Amino acid sequence: MHRSIGFYLRIYGKILVQDIKSKMSYRSDFIISTIGMICTNIAGFVSFWILFQNFPSVDGWGYYEMLFLYGFSLVSLTPVQCLFDNNWSLRIYVYSGDFIKYCFRPINLFFYYQSEIFDIKGLGQLAFGIGTLIYAWAKLGLPVTVLMILKMIVFLITASLIMIALQNAAAATCFWIQNSFYVLDLVFRFKDYAKYPITIFSPVFRFIFTFLMPIAFIAYYPSLVILRPDEIPLLSWLSPVIGLVFFYLSYKFWMYGAMKYSGTGS
Amino acid sequence: MKNSTENAIVMKGIVKEFKVLNRREGLKGSILDLFSRDYRTVTAVDNISVEIPKGQIIGYLGPNGAGKSTTIKMMTGVLEPTRGEILVNGCVPYKNRTKNAENIGVVFGQRSQLWWSLPLIESFRLLKEIYLISEEDYREMLDLFRSLVDIEPLLHKTVRQMSLGQRTLSDILAAFLHNPDIVFLDEPTIGLDVSMKAKIRTLIHALNQEKHTTVILTTHDMGDVDALCRRIVIIDKGKMLYDNDIAHLKGFFGSYRTLKVRMDGDLQAHAEEIRKEVDFSVSADEEWISILVDEEKEKVLDVLGRLQHTHNIRDMQLEEISTEEIIKKIYEEGVE
Repeated sequence: MHRSIGFYLRIYGKILVQDIKSKMSYRSDFIISTIGMICTNIAGFVSFWILFQNFPSVDGWGYYEMLFLYGFSLVSLTPVQCLFDNNWSLRIYVYSGDFIKYCFRPINLFFYYQSEIFDIKGLGQLAFGIGTLIYAWAKLGLPVTVLMILKMIVFLITASLIMIALQNAAAATCFWIQNSFYVLDLVFRFKDYAKYPITIFSPVFRFIFTFLMPIAFIAYYPSLVILRPDEIPLLSWLSPVIGLVFFYLSYKFWMYGAMKYSGTGS
Repeated sequence: MKNSTENAIVMKGIVKEFKVLNRREGLKGSILDLFSRDYRTVTAVDNISVEIPKGQIIGYLGPNGAGKSTTIKMMTGVLEPTRGEILVNGCVPYKNRTKNAENIGVVFGQRSQLWWSLPLIESFRLLKEIYLISEEDYREMLDLFRSLVDIEPLLHKTVRQMSLGQRTLSDILAAFLHNPDIVFLDEPTIGLDVSMKAKIRTLIHALNQEKHTTVILTTHDMGDVDALCRRIVIIDKGKMLYDNDIAHLKGFFGSYRTLKVRMDGDLQAHAEEIRKEVDFSVSADEEWISILVDEEKEKVLDVLGRLQHTHNIRDMQLEEISTEEIIKKIYEEGVE
């Protein structure tokens, strides 16, 4: 029996519909968490706006360019929020031994585990991010062509893959160490720097954010392709490849940990 | 000699060793451990050979840490044995993990494998997709379930809202849904009340009869074994202690009952006194004094009657002989 990508998409779709249905049935929980998400986004935006009342530009980046970067990071962080939220619980399942229950199905373990949770709150962030992007796009007077939109989509996917990869790798550390929460938390704190142009950091951090913890690929390098078509560094063009490679490596790392885990713990 | 195609599971000289890090003490020790190569080898399963014919219900017994879970994990393809041969439905499970997973069903104790927030019927529909069950087979199986247990009230309940008994029942049904050749049930009746235990045993028995499913049942509960298994395998400390008909073992231990009594005061001291009065092995924990009575020598009620004269008994219980006690007896006296 062969299980194709179509098979996995169909399964995911079914789980998704059921999950959303059941979340809706806990109405107050759903409403409160939605309000929470809206507040978080508004607070994030307000602090961004206050910053720009005092500094009209950051290292040569104007208000609308920065807004573009901000919106870009919000959108590219949505998939990790919506689709891979179960990574946050991984260490709990591993520690309690409950992770074993995912090991007996004839489907991909990584898929099966991640598909269990869809975090609907991320959709608010997506809407907010898209709104910001469109607004900044219009204010910057960027051309609206098929090619531009295509580029935009490709680079948004790229950026998402990098963030997912970072989170996968951080979550999978729980297969080896007990306090893996701090690793995951650290990665998530660093992602806040993704919305700034990397040129404002010192060379040391520039190196870290490009090669070690590649958050510069979440918004900065991909955005350059749209915003500064005259001065695109090689790293920007390479970012789709880097995104795919990082995602693949993190997946392999996660699966390696999972296979190793099932050997221990009863 | 049985042909291997008639066997659901064949294991020959299976050994599973784990490397365990020798941990050091203190903060300094735990930092050193990160770089340590100081391992020792622990043998979880030691030279186990067993053949399980199709359609049998096998009781797989042993105390905690005996290696039961490790064996089950090797049979399900989650673990690779260190040495030895293993065939499940004619193929090597760890090499064909996905293919093997299609032909088995697993219920692991109280860890529900169903979708926590979905109604049971939706979990069933998802499993139908995952195991590529045809519409016809799916309906037929649901009809069978309906004829065996009253599932209608459960179908639209989410697993989250179910009681432990309902959840276990649902998990067992889910494990049989894709009509697998083998179903592994790990402690299916743990923590359940007597009537639910009986219900679950009846269900397992009926499904085995209807579908000729091989069932590997790990349990602590001799009641489960009594109700379901004709053959039992006992392991302890990774080694096989016993593999035979349950009738054989019952002939040996069938006359044993555990009489548990509760009384005021220091139980250890009371146990010491009782040891002098009766000719059986006596032990005490914080709540109960347990006396393993051989009814061929003296009836349980007679023992109780005698104790009532000498002690102020506040409460009593009667239990079947436990797995631990059987293993103790096998060590002490052997099985012949």
